[in-house]
Amino acid sequence: MNNGRITELLDKYWACETSISEEMELQEFFRSGNVPEELQPYVTLFTYRRDLQALKPGDGFEERLVGSIRKAERQNRYITIRIFEPLLRIAASVLLVTGIGISVYLFSRQNSQVFAETYNDPEAAMQQATLALDKLSRAIQATEEASLKSLEQLDNLELDWSEIDSLSTEIVPIDPDFNKDVKPGRL
Amino acid sequence: MSRDKFHRIILPLKDKLFRLAWSIVRDSAEAEDIVQDMFVKLWSKIDEWDNIENLEAYCFRATKNLALDRMESLEIRKTENISPELESSTFTDRVTPFNKLEETERYTLLYNCIDQLPEKQKMVFQLREIEGMSYREIADTLQMSEEMVKVSLFRARGRLKKQLSGRRE
Repeated sequence: MNNGRITELLDKYWACETSISEEMELQEFFRSGNVPEELQPYVTLFTYRRDLQALKPGDGFEERLVGSIRKAERQNRYITIRIFEPLLRIAASVLLVTGIGISVYLFSRQNSQVFAETYNDPEAAMQQATLALDKLSRAIQATEEASLKSLEQLDNLELDWSEIDSLSTEIVPIDPDFNKDVKPGRL
Repeated sequence: MSRDKFHRIILPLKDKLFRLAWSIVRDSAEAEDIVQDMFVKLWSKIDEWDNIENLEAYCFRATKNLALDRMESLEIRKTENISPELESSTFTDRVTPFNKLEETERYTLLYNCIDQLPEKQKMVFQLREIEGMSYREIADTLQMSEEMVKVSLFRARGRLKKQLSGRRE
């Protein structure tokens, strides 16, 4: 590469007008070892980058990287649980107390229904009680009337009661000593 | 989908991000820690990835910020001597001890000059010179206009030219 070309490229380089490929060209020139005396101060400027470009993390860095991410993930999960642990305890306690409270309330409500006072007004209660008793009275009266009516109908049938009574006399009364003579072995 | 993005876009950036972190802290172990921290933090925001316009540029910015924070908190002394890992990979084509010493001094001088650049100029310089990014890519990464990228690079190169040529005289 002639000096004219290098001077031209260097001027472009200082003016930030070089392309990436032209900068690569300069790098190659300065690495060649045939650098004029006046350009010697800039040798390292164009040669150091190749060494830096070759600079890489140590062996197994990618594995360490992925490992550290997984570790952080696990820690985050653990931290989340730890952060919420007191809240979980409180929530569990509240749930327990609420559950017990609801159970007690339902139980007492169920029991109190048997003896519950459903009327605040005594007059209304009396009225309802009278109504209930009246209904009961009417029901009893109706059944009494129905019974009397049935008896009247029976009288009207003109049955011969003596025949009906004779049926009862033919039935042999049960003798309590009937099985006394039976030997146990025959059973 | 996000896991796919991680393996397709983010994980392959690890070397570039490492070099970016290294250019700030000048220490391999620290640079690895920084990149690792960045990945863990990024992973914790996995739900937000779809809202990030340019994930690659975001990674570069996050790494740069973490590295600058680490520099502040640890007060890592920017190298005055070239780091061992670079020293071992450099100067392989120079044979004499004198040349090697001379080269080491030159590299040390160069790093000192780069370290003295303002942060913005240094970042632009790093992304252009080492990662070979276009002006557009640098602008996206550092969230600045393309014009500003060119101005920063122009100033950075001008300063380095002045310092490198001036020290020799």
